[in-house]
Amino acid sequence: MVLLAAAIGTWWFAGYAGQDRLGEIAIAAIFAMSLDLMVGYGGMVSLGHALFFGLGAYALAGLTLFLKWPPGLALPASVLLTGLVAFAIGRLIVHLGGVFFIMVTLAFGQMGWAWFARDRLFGGIAGLSGIPQIDLSLLGGDLANPADFAIVAVTAATMVYLALARLIESPFGAVVSALHRNAGRARALGCPVQSYKLAVFTIAAMLASLAGTLQAQRTGFVSPDLLVWTSSGELLIMVIIGGIGSLLGPIAGAALWTLLHHYLSAVTPYWMLIMGAFFIAIVLFAAEGLYGALARLAWRRPHV
Amino acid sequence: MLPDPASLVIQLLNGLQYGMLLFLLSVGLSVVLGLMNFINLAHGTLYMLGAFLGLSLVGVTGSFWIALACAPLLAAAIGALFYGVLLRHLQGESAMKQVLVTFGLIFIGIDTVRMIWGDYEEAIAAPALLADSIRIWGQPYPAYRLFVIALGLVVALLLWLGLERTRLGAVVRAGVDDRVMAASLGINIDAAFFGVFCLGCWLAGLAGVAVAPVLQIYPGMDVAILIPTLIVVVVGGPGSLRGALLGSLLIGMAETFGAVLLPDFASFMIYAVMVLVLLLRPGGLLPARQTA
Repeated sequence: MVLLAAAIGTWWFAGYAGQDRLGEIAIAAIFAMSLDLMVGYGGMVSLGHALFFGLGAYALAGLTLFLKWPPGLALPASVLLTGLVAFAIGRLIVHLGGVFFIMVTLAFGQMGWAWFARDRLFGGIAGLSGIPQIDLSLLGGDLANPADFAIVAVTAATMVYLALARLIESPFGAVVSALHRNAGRARALGCPVQSYKLAVFTIAAMLASLAGTLQAQRTGFVSPDLLVWTSSGELLIMVIIGGIGSLLGPIAGAALWTLLHHYLSAVTPYWMLIMGAFFIAIVLFAAEGLYGALARLAWRRPHV
Repeated sequence: MLPDPASLVIQLLNGLQYGMLLFLLSVGLSVVLGLMNFINLAHGTLYMLGAFLGLSLVGVTGSFWIALACAPLLAAAIGALFYGVLLRHLQGESAMKQVLVTFGLIFIGIDTVRMIWGDYEEAIAAPALLADSIRIWGQPYPAYRLFVIALGLVVALLLWLGLERTRLGAVVRAGVDDRVMAASLGINIDAAFFGVFCLGCWLAGLAGVAVAPVLQIYPGMDVAILIPTLIVVVVGGPGSLRGALLGSLLIGMAETFGAVLLPDFASFMIYAVMVLVLLLRPGGLLPARQTA
């Protein structure tokens, strides 16, 4: 609730840049929540989540620019397409654990990056631009206007949050939590562990691709940088500093990282050093992240 | 369209040279991963530091050979510092924490290099002794690249001898096979691992200086080389010297020939190979441990 109020407040008062930033944060929040679903709740650490983000964006680009689909149709289609790809990949890899899963997700992510970096149809390393935005004139809005885009993005983020909260509190979510804590025990109780992990993997991927499509809408541009492994790494950082294993955590982390990134790089060219040190400190000393620390102060029991 | 034998040999040598570079880098990372189950994403950072320290040493002393000798030692020292201050505490932790902290170190490393040496691409000139080209099959080929190949092979040989013929080598092999057992036999595994870790850092630094006259050095080169190195470690098999050698030769050749023959698909193929190995033979092609 507080975050929503903050978002609305920012939207109201901030100028052009602030609203653009808000849209950026909302997209990052969706992306981060999707990763946390996989890592914090599902226990699967992925260094290739940016693959799905990029696939969503590139699918949108491909459908609208090459097949001339209307963007309003292409967006959900892109999410579904990515979901299919994620399902296929997930089937191959969700049984892997720990180090192997990390490395294979890294490999898949880089495969995607390498593909799009070379593929001339999709613009190679320079990417594609000119992706059409969804026409909201019926609702009186225009996505090219950062204020309107911010509203759409924040609304989307809120809906994702609510949906995920429902999911986590549901029986499905309970099983997933149980799996994370002790897969052996869950299996002994007759639970199809791999199916649940696959489901979590696919859902997380589709949400990431949703974020990706929104990003393509925001900038009208896609490039292989969306998929590179360091993007996945930065996403993991966002989730960690925000607080893994919650939903508000990643939102906070996304906001914190984006703001710090912009603010620090305006102040010093060496923002990476500060972020790196800050991040290491968090991992070592405040493993529950910003949200976890706040939750301990404010509430008895952390909310979802 | 078959390439003529001269350019084939040239590409072969290029692949070999790139393979040797990957070998120097991957062997350190591989042994650390196999031995300590520790993923050190900051390994590339030591490579980068080796290159830049070498650059400074050349600037100060005017001698490439001094730089080649000293920069790796400095890299090893920095690695030891990392280890003592930070990484030691991560030994028992989850893979994720190790990945995250070493990933954070990458960030710090890049900016530190930028702060000290600036943002631009640099180069070190090859030493006068090796600056010429040698004629191979009628084509000129830089003598320096042959030196890199020779260096890699010599290092490989020395490492193999060290592993097979010395006490420390035996300890390391025992530790890779069964760490708990080795420790319970009273062997100071932690000290051995620390030694191996420093050796890995030394090798990374060596790779950095050695390759500087061939490739550009720039902040961010650590990230660029990290992925091929990881692929080599995965394909060859963590913890295995022979695996690292095989893996680096394979990947080195694949990338070099791939770039020439199938430029659009080369990178993609490399990652696909990594995926295949992870799925079908997760222990790698020549694993150190016999996975039952």
